[in-house]
Amino acid sequence: MEKHQLPEALTNTSGYYPLETRENAEMDLALALDIGERMLRVGAEIGRVEDSLRRICTAFGAERVDVFTITSSIVVTMMSPAFGCVTQTRRVQGGVSDFYRLHLLNALSRTICAAPMTRAEIAAEIDRIDHAPVYGFAAQLGIYALISAAFSLFFGGVWQDAAAAAVIGVVLCIVQGVLRRLRTNPFLQSLLCSFAGGLLASGSVALGLALHADLIAIGNVMLLIPGIALTNAIRDLFSGDLVSGLLRFAEALMLAATVALGFVLAARLFG
Amino acid sequence: MTAFIQLLTAFLGSLGFALLFNVRGTRLLPAAFGGLLSWGVYLLAGAFLQSDPLRYLIASAAFTLYAEILARLMKTPATLFLVSAAIPLVPGGSLYRTMEYAIRGDGQAFGSSGLATLLLAVAIAAGILLTMAVLNMVSTLPRLRRQSSK
Repeated sequence: MEKHQLPEALTNTSGYYPLETRENAEMDLALALDIGERMLRVGAEIGRVEDSLRRICTAFGAERVDVFTITSSIVVTMMSPAFGCVTQTRRVQGGVSDFYRLHLLNALSRTICAAPMTRAEIAAEIDRIDHAPVYGFAAQLGIYALISAAFSLFFGGVWQDAAAAAVIGVVLCIVQGVLRRLRTNPFLQSLLCSFAGGLLASGSVALGLALHADLIAIGNVMLLIPGIALTNAIRDLFSGDLVSGLLRFAEALMLAATVALGFVLAARLFG
Repeated sequence: MTAFIQLLTAFLGSLGFALLFNVRGTRLLPAAFGGLLSWGVYLLAGAFLQSDPLRYLIASAAFTLYAEILARLMKTPATLFLVSAAIPLVPGGSLYRTMEYAIRGDGQAFGSSGLATLLLAVAIAAGILLTMAVLNMVSTLPRLRRQSSK
């Protein structure tokens, strides 16, 4: 049997981050977890979070790093003769896909591994990433309208359907914004949004403003339905992240069911 | 004409989701173009393939290659391009219809539509993973050769 060795890239040869004391190691691990937690929340894959944490901790001077990540939690243990064995966990809740932040966090983790940074520098950089720009509320309204109209046409709607879908998309963006502020349960959120979407779609057809209620609805459905989450769940399952895959799969199915329930209830009201 | 509208709206749909996911600057247009590419490949594959899951597999293999190349060029996680490009293929519509059948109590339609949705999702995931696995093997090949010559 060959002796187990870390891959070349993971063994610390730089000695950039001397972790002589346990206290330092604990603070460094907390910083690493700050980065990992944020990556998970903005939509990084499980594999990327684990890999980044492993690399950062190795750069910090750990000789062995064990990371276990699922969609809602991270556990990291790092070991070295210098400071012994340090373990920390993070509970990760919520989060919205934000690929600009993902890009910045990924770049930060690469910088930490490439050249030494002090703890203060890393903390300042994390703070800068937290304050990175997002598209404002007005832009969000436009984005919801764009997606709704595009998918109404994509599935075969006429321009009146697309226009109705765009307007309903704007309404949904406002409704969702309010529900998020109120910290409504996510399933109730999607149920209420899809119920409102269904009512407005059927209503605009009943008023003669548009032609096909189902083709309007499909544009709005694409905003609410967890299609990406379902595909990601299956990706996780095949990559061997069974726990995360099953969690995401169950969540996607439940959300999809509430979305369908909302639209069906609204359609029932219109007969 | 239908194909043209679909390609245009696939581009716009992907652009919309890229914006929704806070993709910014020079990465935005390539991310949106991924949607056009994936739907284009899906339509092209229709010329010689009947099976939808197979066409999805080929299309997702194509956009994964595109995403991985762009990720290396633009030094950013591939997920960004991958998710945006997958948008037109993602089985949101059929997932919705499946759940609609379930709520209406139509067990038979639920079963067949559910199976179709699952197959599409598996086809996309498999296309992504297979392409990534092949790329991974290709990129570790030079390193292995260097090690063995040492």
